[in-house]
Amino acid sequence: MLWHKAWLETRGRFFAGLALSLIVGFGVIYDFRATERLLPLVRSMDPAALDTTGPIGGAIKEAIAAQQTFRGFVWWQWYRQNLTYLVVIFGALLGAGGLLAKSGGATLFTLSLPVSRHRLIGTRAAIGLAELLAIAVVPSLVLPLLAPSIGQSYSVIDVVVHGACMFIVGSVFFSLAALLSNDYADMWRPVLIACIVAAVLGMLEYIPAIAPFGIFHTMNGETYYRQAGLPWIGLLVSAGISAALLRTAAVNLAHRDF
Amino acid sequence: MSESLAIETVDLRKRFDATDALRGLNLRVPQGSIFGFLGRNGAGKTTTIKILLGMTRPTAGQARVLGLPADDATASVTIRTRTGFVDENKNLYDYMTVEEIIRFTAAFYSGWRHDLEKRYLRSFALPLHQKTNALSLGMRSKLSLLLALCRGVELLVLDEPTSGLDPAASEEVLQAIVTHVSTEQLTVFFSTHHLADVDQIAEHIAIIDAGRTIVSGALDDLRGQYRRVQLVFNGEAPDITFHAPGVIRVRRQGRVLTALSNAGGDALIEEAMRFGPVSADVLPVTLKEIFLESVAVED
Repeated sequence: MLWHKAWLETRGRFFAGLALSLIVGFGVIYDFRATERLLPLVRSMDPAALDTTGPIGGAIKEAIAAQQTFRGFVWWQWYRQNLTYLVVIFGALLGAGGLLAKSGGATLFTLSLPVSRHRLIGTRAAIGLAELLAIAVVPSLVLPLLAPSIGQSYSVIDVVVHGACMFIVGSVFFSLAALLSNDYADMWRPVLIACIVAAVLGMLEYIPAIAPFGIFHTMNGETYYRQAGLPWIGLLVSAGISAALLRTAAVNLAHRDF
Repeated sequence: MSESLAIETVDLRKRFDATDALRGLNLRVPQGSIFGFLGRNGAGKTTTIKILLGMTRPTAGQARVLGLPADDATASVTIRTRTGFVDENKNLYDYMTVEEIIRFTAAFYSGWRHDLEKRYLRSFALPLHQKTNALSLGMRSKLSLLLALCRGVELLVLDEPTSGLDPAASEEVLQAIVTHVSTEQLTVFFSTHHLADVDQIAEHIAIIDAGRTIVSGALDDLRGQYRRVQLVFNGEAPDITFHAPGVIRVRRQGRVLTALSNAGGDALIEEAMRFGPVSADVLPVTLKEIFLESVAVED
Protein backbone atom coordinates (compact mmCIF):
# COMPACT_ATOMS: atom_id res chain seq x y z
CA MET A 1 0.00 0.00 0.00
CA LEU A 2 2.96 2.32 0.43
CA TRP A 3 3.39 2.06 -3.34
CA HIS A 4 -0.18 3.18 -3.81
CA LYS A 5 0.31 6.08 -1.39
CA ALA A 6 3.49 7.20 -3.19
CA TRP A 7 1.69 6.96 -6.52
CA LEU A 8 -1.27 9.01 -5.28
CA GLU A 9 1.11 11.66 -3.96
CA THR A 10 3.14 12.02 -7.14
CA ARG A 11 0.79 11.16 -9.98
CA GLY A 12 -0.26 14.79 -10.55
CA ARG A 13 3.35 15.85 -11.11
CA PHE A 14 4.02 12.73 -13.18
CA PHE A 15 1.09 13.23 -15.53
CA ALA A 16 1.92 16.94 -15.90
CA GLY A 17 5.51 16.05 -16.84
CA LEU A 18 4.43 13.30 -19.22
CA ALA A 19 1.80 15.46 -20.93
CA LEU A 20 4.14 18.43 -21.32
CA SER A 21 6.93 16.23 -22.68
CA LEU A 22 4.58 14.58 -25.18
CA ILE A 23 3.35 17.96 -26.42
CA VAL A 24 6.91 19.21 -26.85
CA GLY A 25 7.87 15.90 -28.50
CA PHE A 26 5.08 16.27 -31.08
CA GLY A 27 6.19 19.85 -31.62
CA VAL A 28 9.76 18.77 -32.37
CA ILE A 29 8.65 16.36 -35.10
CA TYR A 30 6.48 18.82 -36.94
CA ASP A 31 8.98 21.64 -36.40
CA PHE A 32 11.44 19.68 -38.53
CA ARG A 33 9.33 20.40 -41.59
CA ALA A 34 9.80 24.14 -41.15
CA THR A 35 13.51 23.68 -40.52
CA GLU A 36 13.80 21.44 -43.57
CA ARG A 37 12.43 24.21 -45.76
CA LEU A 38 15.17 26.54 -44.51
CA LEU A 39 17.98 24.08 -45.12
CA PRO A 40 18.50 24.86 -48.87
CA LEU A 41 18.77 28.52 -47.96
CA VAL A 42 21.35 27.76 -45.29
CA ARG A 43 23.31 25.47 -47.62
CA SER A 44 23.41 28.19 -50.28
CA MET A 45 25.12 30.59 -47.92
CA ASP A 46 28.80 31.24 -48.36
CA PRO A 47 30.43 29.95 -45.16
CA ALA A 48 33.22 32.43 -45.66
CA ALA A 49 30.69 35.25 -45.41
CA LEU A 50 29.48 34.00 -41.97
CA ASP A 51 31.25 35.11 -38.84
CA THR A 52 31.49 31.84 -36.95
CA THR A 53 34.16 32.93 -34.52
CA GLY A 54 33.45 33.27 -30.82
CA PRO A 55 31.05 31.20 -28.69
CA ILE A 56 27.85 32.45 -30.36
CA GLY A 57 29.19 31.99 -33.85
CA GLY A 58 30.47 28.55 -32.89
CA ALA A 59 27.08 27.60 -31.53
CA ILE A 60 25.33 28.77 -34.71
CA LYS A 61 27.76 26.78 -36.80
CA GLU A 62 27.25 23.70 -34.61
CA ALA A 63 23.47 24.08 -34.75
CA ILE A 64 23.44 24.35 -38.52
CA ALA A 65 25.73 21.34 -38.84
CA ALA A 66 23.67 19.20 -36.48
CA GLN A 67 20.30 20.02 -38.01
CA GLN A 68 21.13 18.94 -41.53
CA THR A 69 19.53 15.54 -40.77
CA PHE A 70 16.42 14.49 -38.86
CA ARG A 71 18.54 12.54 -36.35
CA GLY A 72 20.73 15.60 -35.81
CA PHE A 73 17.71 17.87 -35.53
CA VAL A 74 16.12 15.60 -32.93
CA TRP A 75 19.34 15.43 -30.92
CA TRP A 76 19.87 19.19 -31.04
CA GLN A 77 16.31 20.27 -30.36
CA TRP A 78 14.94 17.42 -28.24
CA TYR A 79 17.72 15.71 -26.32
CA ARG A 80 20.16 18.59 -26.09
CA GLN A 81 17.54 21.16 -25.09
CA ASN A 82 13.86 20.48 -24.49
CA LEU A 83 13.92 17.04 -22.91
CA THR A 84 16.97 17.92 -20.83
CA TYR A 85 15.16 20.88 -19.28
CA LEU A 86 11.98 18.85 -18.75
CA VAL A 87 13.79 15.92 -17.11
CA VAL A 88 15.74 18.23 -14.79
CA ILE A 89 12.64 20.15 -13.72
CA PHE A 90 10.36 17.13 -13.33
CA GLY A 91 13.16 15.09 -11.77
CA ALA A 92 13.40 17.75 -9.06
CA LEU A 93 9.61 18.00 -8.79
CA LEU A 94 9.21 14.23 -8.38
CA GLY A 95 12.05 14.01 -5.87
CA ALA A 96 10.73 16.86 -3.73
CA GLY A 97 8.08 16.38 -1.09
CA GLY A 98 8.82 12.98 0.27
CA LEU A 99 7.71 12.18 3.77
CA LEU A 100 7.10 15.72 4.90
CA ALA A 101 5.44 17.93 2.32
CA LYS A 102 2.81 15.95 0.49
CA SER A 103 1.61 14.10 3.57
CA GLY A 104 0.51 17.48 4.90
CA GLY A 105 0.26 17.25 8.65
CA ALA A 106 -0.18 13.49 8.45
CA THR A 107 3.52 12.75 8.92
CA LEU A 108 2.87 11.37 12.40
CA PHE A 109 0.17 9.09 11.01
CA THR A 110 2.68 7.74 8.49
CA LEU A 111 5.33 7.30 11.18
CA SER A 112 2.87 5.42 13.40
CA LEU A 113 2.55 2.67 10.79
CA PRO A 114 4.61 -0.48 11.29
CA VAL A 115 7.16 0.26 8.58
CA SER A 116 10.76 1.37 8.81
CA ARG A 117 11.80 4.81 7.62
CA HIS A 118 14.14 3.17 5.10
CA ARG A 119 11.15 1.40 3.59
CA LEU A 120 9.17 4.63 3.51
CA ILE A 121 11.82 6.57 1.62
CA GLY A 122 12.78 3.53 -0.48
CA THR A 123 9.22 3.08 -1.74
CA ARG A 124 8.83 6.79 -2.38
CA ALA A 125 12.13 6.87 -4.30
CA ALA A 126 11.30 3.78 -6.35
CA ILE A 127 7.95 5.21 -7.49
CA GLY A 128 9.44 8.63 -8.24
CA LEU A 129 12.33 7.15 -10.22
CA ALA A 130 9.98 4.91 -12.19
CA GLU A 131 7.93 7.98 -13.09
CA LEU A 132 11.09 9.87 -14.07
CA LEU A 133 12.14 6.95 -16.29
CA ALA A 134 8.75 7.10 -18.00
CA ILE A 135 9.12 10.84 -18.60
CA ALA A 136 12.65 10.30 -19.96
CA VAL A 137 11.66 7.52 -22.39
CA VAL A 138 7.94 7.45 -23.23
CA PRO A 139 7.59 10.89 -24.91
CA SER A 140 10.57 10.09 -27.15
CA LEU A 141 8.72 7.05 -28.50
CA VAL A 142 6.60 9.43 -30.58
CA LEU A 143 9.76 10.00 -32.66
CA PRO A 144 9.98 6.51 -34.26
CA LEU A 145 6.18 6.29 -34.31
CA LEU A 146 5.44 9.60 -36.04
CA ALA A 147 8.62 10.26 -38.00
CA PRO A 148 7.25 8.31 -41.05
CA SER A 149 4.37 10.83 -41.24
CA ILE A 150 6.89 13.51 -42.27
CA GLY A 151 8.89 11.15 -44.47
CA GLN A 152 11.60 10.47 -41.89
CA SER A 153 12.62 7.61 -39.63
CA TYR A 154 14.05 7.40 -36.15
CA SER A 155 15.66 4.47 -34.37
CA VAL A 156 14.04 2.96 -31.27
CA ILE A 157 17.55 2.10 -30.08
CA ASP A 158 18.40 5.81 -30.11
CA VAL A 159 15.31 6.46 -28.00
CA VAL A 160 16.36 3.81 -25.46
CA VAL A 161 19.99 4.94 -25.25
CA HIS A 162 19.20 8.64 -24.99
CA GLY A 163 16.37 7.86 -22.54
CA ALA A 164 18.79 5.93 -20.33
CA CYS A 165 21.25 8.84 -20.34
CA MET A 166 18.45 11.28 -19.54
CA PHE A 167 17.13 9.12 -16.73
CA ILE A 168 20.45 8.35 -15.05
CA VAL A 169 21.62 11.97 -15.01
CA GLY A 170 18.11 13.25 -14.25
CA SER A 171 18.07 11.01 -11.18
CA VAL A 172 20.84 13.19 -9.69
CA PHE A 173 18.41 16.13 -9.54
CA PHE A 174 15.67 13.81 -8.25
CA SER A 175 17.93 12.59 -5.45
CA LEU A 176 19.17 16.10 -4.64
CA ALA A 177 15.56 17.31 -4.25
CA ALA A 178 14.75 14.22 -2.12
CA LEU A 179 17.70 14.98 0.16
CA LEU A 180 16.74 18.65 0.45
CA SER A 181 13.16 17.65 1.26
CA ASN A 182 14.37 16.28 4.59
CA ASP A 183 15.12 19.84 5.63
CA TYR A 184 12.34 21.79 3.96
CA ALA A 185 8.69 21.12 4.77
CA ASP A 186 7.48 22.72 1.53
CA MET A 187 8.31 21.19 -1.85
CA TRP A 188 9.21 24.39 -3.68
CA ARG A 189 12.53 25.23 -2.05
CA PRO A 190 14.08 21.82 -2.86
CA VAL A 191 12.89 22.19 -6.47
CA LEU A 192 14.23 25.73 -6.72
CA ILE A 193 17.61 24.80 -5.23
CA ALA A 194 17.93 21.73 -7.50
CA CYS A 195 17.12 23.89 -10.55
CA ILE A 196 19.65 26.53 -9.49
CA VAL A 197 22.30 23.81 -9.11
CA ALA A 198 21.38 22.56 -12.61
CA ALA A 199 21.63 26.10 -14.04
CA VAL A 200 25.07 26.63 -12.48
CA LEU A 201 26.31 23.27 -13.80
CA GLY A 202 24.91 24.15 -17.22
CA MET A 203 26.69 27.50 -17.26
CA LEU A 204 29.96 25.85 -16.28
CA GLU A 205 29.74 23.78 -19.46
CA TYR A 206 30.22 26.96 -21.49
CA ILE A 207 33.85 26.75 -20.39
CA PRO A 208 35.45 24.69 -23.19
CA ALA A 209 37.80 22.83 -20.84
CA ILE A 210 34.90 21.68 -18.67
CA ALA A 211 32.30 20.98 -21.40
CA PRO A 212 33.40 17.39 -22.25
CA PHE A 213 33.14 16.43 -18.56
CA GLY A 214 29.89 18.26 -17.93
CA ILE A 215 26.84 16.52 -16.53
CA PHE A 216 24.64 17.75 -19.40
CA HIS A 217 27.16 16.47 -21.92
CA THR A 218 26.45 13.03 -20.46
CA MET A 219 22.73 13.69 -20.14
CA ASN A 220 22.16 14.56 -23.81
CA GLY A 221 24.19 11.56 -24.96
CA GLU A 222 26.40 13.62 -27.27
CA THR A 223 29.13 10.99 -27.48
CA TYR A 224 26.55 8.41 -28.53
CA TYR A 225 25.05 10.82 -31.08
CA ARG A 226 28.49 11.45 -32.56
CA GLN A 227 29.01 7.68 -32.85
CA ALA A 228 31.66 7.68 -30.16
CA GLY A 229 29.95 5.18 -27.88
CA LEU A 230 28.19 5.57 -24.59
CA PRO A 231 29.40 8.05 -21.94
CA TRP A 232 30.05 5.25 -19.47
CA ILE A 233 32.14 7.23 -17.04
CA GLY A 234 29.65 10.08 -16.90
CA LEU A 235 26.77 7.64 -16.43
CA LEU A 236 28.54 5.72 -13.69
CA VAL A 237 29.52 8.91 -11.88
CA SER A 238 25.96 10.23 -12.15
CA ALA A 239 24.48 6.97 -10.89
CA GLY A 240 26.98 6.98 -8.03
CA ILE A 241 26.16 10.58 -7.07
CA SER A 242 22.46 9.85 -7.25
CA ALA A 243 22.77 6.73 -5.09
CA ALA A 244 24.93 8.59 -2.57
CA LEU A 245 22.42 11.44 -2.33
CA LEU A 246 19.53 9.02 -1.83
CA ARG A 247 21.48 7.05 0.75
CA THR A 248 22.26 10.28 2.63
CA ALA A 249 18.58 11.25 2.47
CA ALA A 250 17.60 7.84 3.92
CA VAL A 251 20.18 8.03 6.71
CA ASN A 252 19.16 11.62 7.57
CA LEU A 253 15.54 10.59 7.69
CA ALA A 254 16.26 7.56 9.86
CA HIS A 255 17.98 9.75 12.47
CA ARG A 256 15.55 12.61 12.36
CA ASP A 257 13.30 13.61 15.24
CA PHE A 258 9.70 14.39 14.36
CA MET B 1 11.68 -3.90 33.65
CA SER B 2 8.50 -5.76 34.47
CA GLU B 3 6.65 -7.95 31.99
CA SER B 4 3.31 -6.73 33.34
CA LEU B 5 3.96 -3.17 32.27
CA ALA B 6 2.75 -1.98 28.88
CA ILE B 7 4.96 1.10 29.07
CA GLU B 8 7.91 1.85 31.31
CA THR B 9 10.26 4.79 31.20
CA VAL B 10 13.26 5.24 33.45
CA ASP B 11 14.94 8.63 33.80
CA LEU B 12 13.87 9.51 30.27
CA ARG B 13 15.43 12.70 28.95
CA LYS B 14 15.05 14.65 25.75
CA ARG B 15 16.84 17.84 24.84
CA PHE B 16 15.94 19.98 21.81
CA ASP B 17 18.72 22.49 21.19
CA ALA B 18 18.74 24.53 24.40
CA THR B 19 15.42 23.21 25.75
CA ASP B 20 14.97 20.22 28.02
CA ALA B 21 11.62 18.74 26.98
CA LEU B 22 11.98 15.74 29.32
CA ARG B 23 14.08 15.86 32.47
CA GLY B 24 14.13 12.35 33.89
CA LEU B 25 10.61 11.09 33.27
CA ASN B 26 9.60 7.90 35.07
CA LEU B 27 6.43 6.13 34.04
CA ARG B 28 4.92 2.75 34.82
CA VAL B 29 1.80 1.92 32.84
CA PRO B 30 0.25 -1.40 33.92
CA GLN B 31 -0.96 -3.72 31.17
CA GLY B 32 -4.71 -3.67 30.71
CA SER B 33 -5.18 -0.27 32.33
CA ILE B 34 -6.63 2.98 31.09
CA PHE B 35 -3.85 5.40 31.88
CA GLY B 36 -4.35 9.17 31.86
CA PHE B 37 -1.20 11.13 31.10
CA LEU B 38 -1.78 14.63 32.40
CA GLY B 39 0.17 17.81 32.06
CA ARG B 40 -0.03 21.41 31.04
CA ASN B 41 0.68 22.47 27.46
CA GLY B 42 4.40 22.03 26.87
CA ALA B 43 4.84 19.68 29.84
CA GLY B 44 6.36 17.01 27.61
CA LYS B 45 3.37 14.76 26.90
CA THR B 46 3.65 14.70 23.11
CA THR B 47 7.44 14.36 23.24
CA THR B 48 7.02 11.30 25.48
CA ILE B 49 4.50 9.74 23.09
CA LYS B 50 6.78 10.40 20.12
CA ILE B 51 9.64 8.66 21.91
CA LEU B 52 7.42 5.69 22.78
CA LEU B 53 6.49 5.28 19.10
CA GLY B 54 9.99 5.78 17.70
CA MET B 55 9.24 9.15 16.11
CA THR B 56 11.79 10.92 18.29
CA ARG B 57 14.88 9.49 19.95
CA PRO B 58 15.60 10.09 23.63
CA THR B 59 18.74 11.94 24.66
CA ALA B 60 19.16 9.65 27.70
CA GLY B 61 17.26 7.13 29.78
CA GLN B 62 15.18 4.16 28.79
CA ALA B 63 11.73 3.68 27.33
CA ARG B 64 10.20 0.25 26.86
CA VAL B 65 6.88 -0.41 25.20
CA LEU B 66 5.33 -3.88 25.44
CA GLY B 67 8.70 -5.03 26.73
CA LEU B 68 10.63 -3.71 23.72
CA PRO B 69 13.13 -0.84 23.60
CA ALA B 70 11.45 2.14 21.94
CA ASP B 71 14.71 3.64 20.66
CA ASP B 72 15.67 0.56 18.64
CA ALA B 73 14.57 0.98 15.00
CA THR B 74 13.72 -2.69 14.45
CA ALA B 75 11.92 -3.09 17.78
CA SER B 76 10.04 0.13 17.08
CA VAL B 77 8.47 -1.40 13.97
CA THR B 78 7.27 -4.32 16.12
CA ILE B 79 5.96 -1.90 18.74
CA ARG B 80 3.99 -0.06 16.06
CA THR B 81 2.61 -3.35 14.76
CA ARG B 82 1.13 -3.88 18.23
CA THR B 83 0.08 -0.27 18.89
CA GLY B 84 -2.66 2.02 17.64
CA PHE B 85 -2.08 5.76 17.65
CA VAL B 86 -4.22 8.87 17.34
CA ASP B 87 -2.30 12.09 17.01
CA GLU B 88 -3.32 15.36 18.59
CA ASN B 89 -4.27 17.08 15.32
CA LYS B 90 -5.96 14.05 13.74
CA ASN B 91 -4.23 14.79 10.47
CA LEU B 92 -4.79 12.16 7.80
CA TYR B 93 -3.93 11.99 4.10
CA ASP B 94 -6.12 14.70 2.63
CA TYR B 95 -6.08 13.15 -0.84
CA MET B 96 -7.68 9.91 0.34
CA THR B 97 -11.35 9.20 0.96
CA VAL B 98 -12.53 7.63 4.21
CA GLU B 99 -12.74 4.25 2.49
CA GLU B 100 -9.28 4.57 0.91
CA ILE B 101 -7.54 5.44 4.17
CA ILE B 102 -9.27 2.55 5.94
CA ARG B 103 -8.12 0.11 3.23
CA PHE B 104 -4.65 1.68 3.26
CA THR B 105 -4.26 1.32 7.04
CA ALA B 106 -5.81 -2.15 7.17
CA ALA B 107 -3.14 -3.42 4.77
CA PHE B 108 -0.44 -3.00 7.43
CA TYR B 109 -2.19 -5.06 10.12
CA SER B 110 -2.75 -8.78 9.75
CA GLY B 111 -5.13 -8.71 12.69
CA TRP B 112 -7.28 -5.90 11.28
CA ARG B 113 -10.74 -6.14 12.84
CA HIS B 114 -13.23 -5.99 9.99
CA ASP B 115 -16.07 -6.59 12.45
CA LEU B 116 -15.09 -3.51 14.45
CA GLU B 117 -14.58 -1.54 11.24
CA LYS B 118 -18.19 -2.20 10.23
CA ARG B 119 -19.44 -1.43 13.73
CA TYR B 120 -17.59 1.89 14.07
CA LEU B 121 -18.38 2.97 10.52
CA ARG B 122 -22.03 2.55 11.39
CA SER B 123 -21.93 4.07 14.87
CA PHE B 124 -19.71 7.01 13.85
CA ALA B 125 -21.76 7.54 10.63
CA LEU B 126 -18.59 8.13 8.60
CA PRO B 127 -19.14 8.97 4.90
CA LEU B 128 -17.07 6.38 3.02
CA HIS B 129 -16.64 8.33 -0.20
CA GLN B 130 -15.78 11.70 1.28
CA LYS B 131 -12.19 12.98 1.22
CA THR B 132 -10.69 13.23 4.70
CA ASN B 133 -10.00 16.94 4.25
CA ALA B 134 -13.73 17.53 3.82
CA LEU B 135 -14.50 16.03 7.24
CA SER B 136 -15.11 18.14 10.32
CA LEU B 137 -12.63 17.84 13.20
CA GLY B 138 -15.15 15.72 15.07
CA MET B 139 -15.52 13.31 12.15
CA ARG B 140 -11.75 13.20 11.63
CA SER B 141 -11.33 12.37 15.32
CA LYS B 142 -13.78 9.51 14.96
CA LEU B 143 -12.08 8.28 11.80
CA SER B 144 -8.67 8.46 13.51
CA LEU B 145 -10.08 6.49 16.41
CA LEU B 146 -11.56 3.88 14.06
CA LEU B 147 -8.16 3.53 12.35
CA ALA B 148 -6.53 2.96 15.74
CA LEU B 149 -9.17 0.69 17.27
CA CYS B 150 -9.50 -1.66 14.30
CA ARG B 151 -5.79 -2.49 14.18
CA GLY B 152 -6.39 -5.33 16.62
CA VAL B 153 -3.53 -4.14 18.83
CA GLU B 154 -2.55 -4.53 22.47
CA LEU B 155 -1.88 -0.86 23.17
CA LEU B 156 -3.67 2.33 22.22
CA VAL B 157 -1.71 5.56 22.44
CA LEU B 158 -3.97 8.58 22.16
CA ASP B 159 -2.53 12.07 22.17
CA GLU B 160 -5.24 14.51 23.26
CA PRO B 161 -8.07 12.40 21.77
CA THR B 162 -10.76 14.97 22.59
CA SER B 163 -8.75 18.08 21.79
CA GLY B 164 -10.81 20.64 19.86
CA LEU B 165 -14.03 18.65 20.10
CA ASP B 166 -17.35 19.98 21.33
CA PRO B 167 -18.73 18.30 24.48
CA ALA B 168 -21.05 15.99 22.52
CA ALA B 169 -18.32 14.76 20.16
CA SER B 170 -15.90 14.48 23.06
CA GLU B 171 -18.37 12.32 24.98
CA GLU B 172 -18.90 10.12 21.93
CA VAL B 173 -15.15 9.56 21.53
CA LEU B 174 -14.67 8.75 25.22
CA GLN B 175 -17.61 6.37 25.23
CA ALA B 176 -16.20 4.58 22.20
CA ILE B 177 -12.89 4.12 24.01
CA VAL B 178 -14.55 2.82 27.19
CA THR B 179 -16.83 0.46 25.25
CA HIS B 180 -13.89 -0.82 23.24
CA VAL B 181 -11.77 -1.47 26.33
CA SER B 182 -14.66 -3.27 28.04
CA THR B 183 -14.77 -5.85 25.22
CA GLU B 184 -11.12 -6.03 24.13
CA GLN B 185 -7.99 -6.85 26.09
CA LEU B 186 -5.78 -3.82 25.71
CA THR B 187 -4.02 -0.95 27.42
CA VAL B 188 -5.01 2.64 26.73
CA PHE B 189 -2.46 5.37 27.30
CA PHE B 190 -3.92 8.78 26.64
CA SER B 191 -2.53 12.22 27.13
CA THR B 192 -4.76 15.16 27.88
CA HIS B 193 -5.09 18.37 29.76
CA HIS B 194 -8.84 17.84 30.08
CA LEU B 195 -9.16 16.60 33.64
CA ALA B 196 -12.80 15.66 33.15
CA ASP B 197 -11.77 13.08 30.53
CA VAL B 198 -9.37 11.47 32.96
CA ASP B 199 -11.87 11.56 35.79
CA GLN B 200 -14.38 9.86 33.51
CA ILE B 201 -12.35 6.95 32.15
CA ALA B 202 -8.86 6.61 33.67
CA GLU B 203 -7.85 4.03 36.25
CA HIS B 204 -4.26 5.16 36.61
CA ILE B 205 -2.72 8.57 36.06
CA ALA B 206 0.57 10.35 35.88
CA ILE B 207 0.85 14.11 36.13
CA ILE B 208 3.94 15.53 34.53
CA ASP B 209 5.30 19.02 34.58
CA ALA B 210 8.38 20.50 32.97
CA GLY B 211 9.40 17.05 31.72
CA ARG B 212 9.18 15.23 35.06
CA THR B 213 6.61 12.99 36.71
CA ILE B 214 5.25 14.74 39.76
CA VAL B 215 2.31 12.49 40.66
CA SER B 216 1.67 8.92 39.62
CA GLY B 217 -0.55 6.07 40.68
CA ALA B 218 -3.99 4.49 40.64
CA LEU B 219 -6.60 7.24 40.57
CA ASP B 220 -8.62 5.73 43.43
CA ASP B 221 -5.48 5.45 45.59
CA LEU B 222 -4.58 9.06 44.87
CA ARG B 223 -8.07 10.19 45.75
CA GLY B 224 -7.70 8.27 49.02
CA GLN B 225 -4.28 9.71 49.80
CA TYR B 226 -4.98 13.35 49.04
CA ARG B 227 -6.82 15.20 51.77
CA ARG B 228 -7.45 18.86 52.44
CA VAL B 229 -7.58 19.86 56.11
CA GLN B 230 -9.42 23.09 56.80
CA LEU B 231 -8.90 24.75 60.19
CA VAL B 232 -10.84 27.77 61.44
CA PHE B 233 -9.43 29.83 64.33
CA ASN B 234 -11.00 32.46 66.56
CA GLY B 235 -8.57 35.10 65.44
CA GLU B 236 -5.97 35.34 62.68
CA ALA B 237 -4.82 31.82 61.66
CA PRO B 238 -1.33 31.10 63.09
CA ASP B 239 1.69 30.58 60.85
CA ILE B 240 2.20 26.85 61.35
CA THR B 241 4.93 24.63 60.00
CA PHE B 242 3.50 21.11 59.91
CA HIS B 243 5.72 18.11 60.54
CA ALA B 244 3.13 15.50 59.56
CA PRO B 245 4.20 13.47 56.49
CA GLY B 246 2.87 14.37 53.05
CA VAL B 247 2.02 18.04 53.60
CA ILE B 248 2.51 19.67 50.25
CA ARG B 249 0.93 23.11 50.72
CA VAL B 250 -0.34 25.33 53.49
CA ARG B 251 -2.42 28.44 52.89
CA ARG B 252 -3.56 31.10 55.39
CA GLN B 253 -6.41 33.48 54.72
CA GLY B 254 -7.77 35.44 57.67
CA ARG B 255 -9.14 32.98 60.24
CA VAL B 256 -8.86 30.00 57.89
CA LEU B 257 -5.82 27.78 57.41
CA THR B 258 -5.89 25.12 54.72
CA ALA B 259 -3.34 22.35 54.38
CA LEU B 260 -3.09 19.79 51.60
CA SER B 261 -1.62 16.38 52.24
CA ASN B 262 -0.92 13.45 49.98
CA ALA B 263 -0.65 11.03 52.92
CA GLY B 264 -4.19 11.16 54.22
CA GLY B 265 -5.51 13.67 56.75
CA ASP B 266 -5.23 11.83 60.09
CA ALA B 267 -1.68 12.76 61.11
CA LEU B 268 -2.16 16.28 59.86
CA ILE B 269 -5.36 16.91 61.82
CA GLU B 270 -3.83 15.38 64.95
CA GLU B 271 -0.97 17.85 64.72
CA ALA B 272 -3.30 20.73 63.87
CA MET B 273 -5.51 20.18 66.92
CA ARG B 274 -2.59 21.23 69.15
CA PHE B 275 -2.98 24.80 67.83
CA GLY B 276 -6.57 25.04 69.11
CA PRO B 277 -8.73 25.64 66.05
CA VAL B 278 -12.44 26.21 66.66
CA SER B 279 -13.23 23.79 63.87
CA ALA B 280 -11.30 21.25 61.84
CA ASP B 281 -12.55 19.44 58.76
CA VAL B 282 -10.98 16.83 56.51
CA LEU B 283 -12.20 17.26 52.95
CA PRO B 284 -11.76 15.01 49.91
CA VAL B 285 -9.73 16.41 47.03
CA THR B 286 -10.78 16.37 43.39
CA LEU B 287 -8.47 15.39 40.56
CA LYS B 288 -8.51 19.01 39.42
CA GLU B 289 -7.22 20.09 42.82
CA ILE B 290 -4.56 17.40 42.84
CA PHE B 291 -3.44 18.55 39.41
CA LEU B 292 -3.47 22.25 40.18
CA GLU B 293 -1.74 21.86 43.53
CA SER B 294 0.91 19.52 42.15
CA VAL B 295 1.68 21.82 39.26
CA ALA B 296 1.65 24.87 41.56
CA VAL B 297 4.18 23.20 43.89
CA GLU B 298 6.47 22.67 40.90
CA ASP B 299 6.24 26.37 40.02
